[in-house]
Amino acid sequence: MTDLTDFFLTGMLVYGPLALSLALMLGALGAPLPGTLLVLAAGAFARDAIFNWPLAAVLALLGVAIGDSIGYFVGRYAERYIPRRIQENDSWQQAQDTFNQKGGIAIYLTRFLLTPLAVPTNLIAGSSGYTYGRFLVFDLAGEATWVLLYGSLGYAFAGSWEVINELAGSIGGVLVGVVVLGGGIYWLVRRVKSE
Amino acid sequence: MTNDKFSWKERILIIALIVLGIALIGFFGARAMRSYVRLQQTGLSTGATDVEAIRGWMTIPYIAHACNVPEDALFEALGIPEAGNEKQSIMQLARKYDLKRADIRTVFQAVILRYQQNAPPEADGAP
Repeated sequence: MTDLTDFFLTGMLVYGPLALSLALMLGALGAPLPGTLLVLAAGAFARDAIFNWPLAAVLALLGVAIGDSIGYFVGRYAERYIPRRIQENDSWQQAQDTFNQKGGIAIYLTRFLLTPLAVPTNLIAGSSGYTYGRFLVFDLAGEATWVLLYGSLGYAFAGSWEVINELAGSIGGVLVGVVVLGGGIYWLVRRVKSE
Repeated sequence: MTNDKFSWKERILIIALIVLGIALIGFFGARAMRSYVRLQQTGLSTGATDVEAIRGWMTIPYIAHACNVPEDALFEALGIPEAGNEKQSIMQLARKYDLKRADIRTVFQAVILRYQQNAPPEADGAP
């Protein structure tokens, strides 16, 4: 565990779920903080009667949703600085259309399953013209799944949450690998067919 | 890049994606297997947080609460005042009082064990 993670774990013990909320907000903005570990720890602290779990879950959700929303609006703001040449490119337009049609599932899955891709997804959603209302609905659904899933695991296996975090992180890495490999194969097949 | 020409740039990008994907699956897959084996060896603990393995980020009030030991007993065993140290982590206390973390762990484990041995047996609900 890094010093920053230790700092926030101590902060959670001293200041309660507010520290969790702040840490998750910073993590959603791209700070190198293991959000899943902190949510697992929050579940374990609830088991130890140090946290009030419903309050911790609501504050966690609020913090991470604020962080994701800031990421979304940074993407929307950054869109102005993308050169017109790129914005008018067919591939760019196609990517925007695809995200507008299927972005919801990407937003939902990157909240709890493909978590390393969450920050870039927020930026893409903002810069692709995806409406904020739709973004927020899928974001809250995904983050609620994440908080409830890992919080419950931390609560149920309070004595093993650090090992569960390792396993969950590795499985997340494998899934990201599968997505990257799948993307490469899909691209290859499409190009070979069009040849 | 045109749509109908399979350029070298595109080929390199596709190969990079495939290689990166395989590398990620291999690296994280091996790590997941190691964690899974460790979990099988140690078993999933459903009990309260295991403070036998005291971590640097833990505070004394947390350890006391989780192990059902009075806070002042832990502060007294370390020979440090409680005032001003309740919000400090073990790591911060070790730095502040020039203590070794391993020694702190040993002292705490002795106190916890002493209290557990002296504690009255828990009622099992039997009449």
